[in-house]
Amino acid sequence: MVTYIFRRMISAIVVMAMVGVFIFLLVRLAPGDPADIIAGRAATDQTVADIREQLGLNAPLPVQFRQWAGNLLNGDLGMSVFAGRPVLQLISQRLEPTISLSILTMILSVTVGISFGILAAWRTGGLVDRLLTAFSALGYSVPVFVIGYFLIYFFAIRAHWLPVQGYTPIDGGLGPWFVHLILPTVALSLGYIAFIARVTRASMLEVLSEDYMRTAAAKGASSHAMLFHHALKNAGVPILTVIGISFAYLIGGVVITETVFNIPGVGRLVVDAINNRDYPIIQGVLILTSGLYVLINLAVDLAYTLIDPRIRY
Amino acid sequence: MRWARGLPTIFDPYTTTDSNTVDYAFGVYDMLFGLDSKLVPQPQMLDSWSASDDKKTYTFSLRDRLSWHDGTPVTAADCVASIRRWFQTPGGQLVNERTKDVSKVDEKSFVITLKKPLGVLIDQLAQVDVYPLFMMREQDARRPPTDAVTTHIGSGPFKFNEELYVPGASITFDKYDGYVPRDDAPDGLAGAKIARVRRVVWAKLPDPQTAMAALQAGEVDVLVEVPADLFPVIESDPNLVLENLYKSGFDYFLRMNCLQKPFDNVKARQAVLHLINQDAFLSVINPSLKGNRNVTSLFGVNTPFSNDANTNWFRKGGDPEKAKQLLQEAGYTGEKVVILDPTDWTEGHNASLFLASELRKIGLNVELASSDWAALVARRARKDSVENGGWSIFISSLPDFSLTSPNSAAFMAMNGEQGWVGWPQDDQYEVLRAKWADVTGIEAHRALAREMQQIFWDYASSAYLGHVPALSAYRKNLTGLIGLQAGRLLMWNMRKD
Amino acid sequence: MIGGGLLALLIILALAAPLYAGDPVNMDPFKRLQPPSAEMWFGSDNLGRDVFARTIFGARISLVVGLLSAASAAVVGLLIGVIAGYSRSFDNIVMRVMDGLMSIPTFLLAIALISLTGPGIGILIVAIAIPETPAVTRLVRSVVLSVRERPYVEAALCGGARLPKVLWRHILPSTIPALMVQSATVCASAILTEAGLSFLGVGVPPEIPSWGNMISGSRLYLAIAPLTVFAPGICLAVTVLAVNLLGDGLRDLFDPRAKRRR
Repeated sequence: MVTYIFRRMISAIVVMAMVGVFIFLLVRLAPGDPADIIAGRAATDQTVADIREQLGLNAPLPVQFRQWAGNLLNGDLGMSVFAGRPVLQLISQRLEPTISLSILTMILSVTVGISFGILAAWRTGGLVDRLLTAFSALGYSVPVFVIGYFLIYFFAIRAHWLPVQGYTPIDGGLGPWFVHLILPTVALSLGYIAFIARVTRASMLEVLSEDYMRTAAAKGASSHAMLFHHALKNAGVPILTVIGISFAYLIGGVVITETVFNIPGVGRLVVDAINNRDYPIIQGVLILTSGLYVLINLAVDLAYTLIDPRIRY
Repeated sequence: MRWARGLPTIFDPYTTTDSNTVDYAFGVYDMLFGLDSKLVPQPQMLDSWSASDDKKTYTFSLRDRLSWHDGTPVTAADCVASIRRWFQTPGGQLVNERTKDVSKVDEKSFVITLKKPLGVLIDQLAQVDVYPLFMMREQDARRPPTDAVTTHIGSGPFKFNEELYVPGASITFDKYDGYVPRDDAPDGLAGAKIARVRRVVWAKLPDPQTAMAALQAGEVDVLVEVPADLFPVIESDPNLVLENLYKSGFDYFLRMNCLQKPFDNVKARQAVLHLINQDAFLSVINPSLKGNRNVTSLFGVNTPFSNDANTNWFRKGGDPEKAKQLLQEAGYTGEKVVILDPTDWTEGHNASLFLASELRKIGLNVELASSDWAALVARRARKDSVENGGWSIFISSLPDFSLTSPNSAAFMAMNGEQGWVGWPQDDQYEVLRAKWADVTGIEAHRALAREMQQIFWDYASSAYLGHVPALSAYRKNLTGLIGLQAGRLLMWNMRKD
Repeated sequence: MIGGGLLALLIILALAAPLYAGDPVNMDPFKRLQPPSAEMWFGSDNLGRDVFARTIFGARISLVVGLLSAASAAVVGLLIGVIAGYSRSFDNIVMRVMDGLMSIPTFLLAIALISLTGPGIGILIVAIAIPETPAVTRLVRSVVLSVRERPYVEAALCGGARLPKVLWRHILPSTIPALMVQSATVCASAILTEAGLSFLGVGVPPEIPSWGNMISGSRLYLAIAPLTVFAPGICLAVTVLAVNLLGDGLRDLFDPRAKRRR
């Protein structure tokens, strides 16, 4: 167990190093001088020369990488070209809305998705199953911005039930914070609900069709509820995997959702950074989200061993 | 109080003409003079000023109790440094050429000495179309204009809240309690500037649909730029007001690169003037059609110098046959025409798309180069050929009001490669333009305007696409919102009930 | 197989577009935001362009980007996966690289790539295919690993057959089913990614009619001319749905056990 955890952590570090190399090369190998790119198209020759010097771009690539990675480990993600502030500061300023949105989305997706999945597996082929299957196929296929505008139109503009846009920080009161996040959370969640429901249903059915479950059922000893309790426990691994994957895909949806609902989070920061060609910000967000992904997957893998003691690597 | 509007990325009005930066500066910084609603300069930071009999020495004295947001008093030394910094921008160029010296007399007064009299000196110090003369602290004003100031210390009625600044999302202004307004009644940029709200937040709402909905729901109080297609929505909402606060409106134009093929040839440029159908462009730019007008005069539609000299030949355009013929006479052989297309400016983007489609109809080999506005501004400065990253045409707009002053409106210069992008050059025109500062009397200016316009349209470096009003929307409970002819929306004197 | 049929129909409609749909780029500012008519079935957009024609031509972009991204990811993933499944030393390096690539969020990686080079259909396909490749590689590798232990493969190798031949004859065919199912998933996600990127203004150049561009350009007119947003929005959803259904159908076909579960 301990060796497994240790090996798993080593591999996470290797993966992170890989990510670092990619993101470093991304800007270095792009057509054009990185100093030109980082300085932006409006820069003067002097600015470009200064940036070259500052980034140590005259040194060979491995030396540059060592320096860049060193800064990174010290928490230095560089300076934003446009705002002239440290990237880390800009990102941390925007974290609260993004984390709020992501966590609410995961809570909604996991609870509703798993419930839907179980419900559908319980009455396979029945009306509920069919409806839920159709819903999940749709939820899977409609882009988040289309859902977003739809929700705004009906629930905010027409019905006046919920605010149209914006974000209230959590220290301004739990009520306003939550109310502002309802529509974005629902818009962003639909796809994940569909995804998690599908996987839950499939894994439940798989487990239910296993011989030991049939035996248990044939013995007549357990009620339906008991059966499902067993099944869910065994279906836990694939479901957990899916949740890990969902988190990774979440950031893409967050970028769009924050644009539609005007939430000043990390996603909006990235969109503005594209428009301003603010590469240090794009790089910084890439590094942090990738790091988060690796951590979450590490956590998920370690959780496997708790849920399903049979798993040993 | 929340405004939905564009945000500045640079906080130094001496380094850019970006209107977001200038609007920010109107809140944070103060000016020596303020234009009243009739566009006459009135003392603002000044207590009094006087000119010597030979009109060569001007003495200015500051009014009492002016202070910077860091609490220190405003001194004559600060003003002298600010004026010297302003001299290095196109906005102060004319005054700089005529000035022998600027120096402080005592803590409260300073002197501008001229080489020869300049009738428009005070107008120039008060102008707000390009690089207005904002007062900064001496230590900030010492930097050259290429080195942007990063502090936010002005002496205006609002101070910048550094803690609540979220770059790209919102900026926050707080009332500056140390500001002492003038005693006279508010009138445009002149008179008392009284901050009647404690805090103004400018928030960027990148999605116009969302911004509109936010205004309707009362989540924002002002929507500074309203897309024309949303006018009916606002008009049908009893809580909202749609008002032409930017009184002067905007003239849309296209600018051709006179250095590179095919528009280095005057006939090719004239072909474009024949082609451009202003009514069609206007319905792309402002589909509500409210307040739209054709612009044929170099001097705009509402200025005292607007005239009809040499406009008969192209009128309002819309003659593709004539355009084709001229293009042929110009010897056009399919060279690539690159239109710079700003994707983050809806009206400009749509007009660019339509322009591309129109130019293709007369056989030009058009390519759209899409980018954000900032990248467009960088690319349009390049004189290279199209193949080497240059450009052929871009679309922009300017406040109609700015066309009253050929000295400062970069668009109106024809001084070749030293001048503004597009680089038209005509020496005879430049001689006429140089006279503008010295001629006195409106009739003389009108006559000069006709002469200049004659040459300008023959040369055809640019074409107007039409004049549109710029409407802002706000909630009914807001009163005292001041719009200025010069195209600025001001934060002082408004109140929320 | 509803998905396959629907997808085939969409492809035919898109290919035949010039035969029946109008000009998708012609503008007429005097006829903007018109309601649907006999001449323009879905009305016109804010520049007076034919929404029906644009929607139909938009299908081409979505399908081209979707199919080509899926094809590139599949081909590259297949190559790397087969080699990785066969060579231990190569395997270690490649799979770590793939792990790294997989950790970078797809959408952000695409954004970063495109923001470096500027928008264009070619780069868009590359930018979408790169982040999708690791999943394909992993899948192919796992199939190869399980197949190469099978008796008939061992037998063929012992019988003196050369490695490339064995790869071609025995191993490649067994990867095809899983590869096809995976490709359908990649295709659906590529179509959505393209729409999302175009919606943010970093996808297909704005002049080209694509669904993401159309929704992005028309979102202002949702209340006035809903079809300008809903036509591309619904087509987008239907296309992705078709591809997803096709993927499910393929899975059922190749793995009958899965069908029972469905």
